[in-house]
Amino acid sequence: MRSRAAAAVLSREGFKEAYSMEGGIRAWNGLRAAGPPEAGMAYFETAQKPEEMIALAWILEEGASKFYREMGKRQKGPDEAALFKELSEDEEKHKTSLFSIYQKRAGKGADSAFPRSLLSLESGVDYLEGGVLLNKALEWTQGQELRDILDFSVSLEANAIDLYIKMERKAEGGEAKEVFRALSNQERNHLKRLTAALQTLIS
Amino acid sequence: MGIMDYFKPVDTWPPDKVRQFLNEVSPQDYNLVDVRTPKEYEQGHLPGAQLIPVGELESRLKELDRTKPTITY
Repeated sequence: MRSRAAAAVLSREGFKEAYSMEGGIRAWNGLRAAGPPEAGMAYFETAQKPEEMIALAWILEEGASKFYREMGKRQKGPDEAALFKELSEDEEKHKTSLFSIYQKRAGKGADSAFPRSLLSLESGVDYLEGGVLLNKALEWTQGQELRDILDFSVSLEANAIDLYIKMERKAEGGEAKEVFRALSNQERNHLKRLTAALQTLIS
Repeated sequence: MGIMDYFKPVDTWPPDKVRQFLNEVSPQDYNLVDVRTPKEYEQGHLPGAQLIPVGELESRLKELDRTKPTITY
């Protein structure tokens, strides 16, 4: 899953041909590939309205926050539980930053449309990066090893960084650019913490 | 608009296609990048793969020739 996020980064950076090997090293070795259904989508760089992208980012932060909160509850190790809990809390803060940027653009009267109406999303359905349904991802985590869950989390963060870099590039106002830059930096920090946890687990 | 309008699939190759490609193409003509952690790389990697963990990819893009096909795993 990490490799799909990596291939998405390469495409964004102008690599004409970037391919992710399906199933990673496990599939190379003839083993069954891990990963929740439908994971492995990248952002489509099209001319969406900035408000829509802010709403999309907010929805994905909410999905990630719920995902991490659930993972935090399930972990028996105190370090892992604390890591997921902190990640979830950070994503909540990101929602606040995004909403405030949205309000500045759209004015307070537009609050009721944010975020779901802007994206024509029904209420009560949560999404993760790549458009993966939160429920499907949570179902998938049942019976998975921590290692697979960390791998998936790393791909979530790498995709989040990708989205914020794209949003920063597109943002017109200096303030919005700064917010998106701060968000991508915070997600980079998440990615570091998750890869460190993954590295500790593998020995 | 639905949520999937904001996403597109990442190009993927099945392992057999990668295997065939690596057999047929000279190593100078592609990038093969292992984006896992150093420990996972040490435990086994594809022949000729270079290690760039996903978190370091952005800052180490100069190590890759972007005109060549690039395979990540």
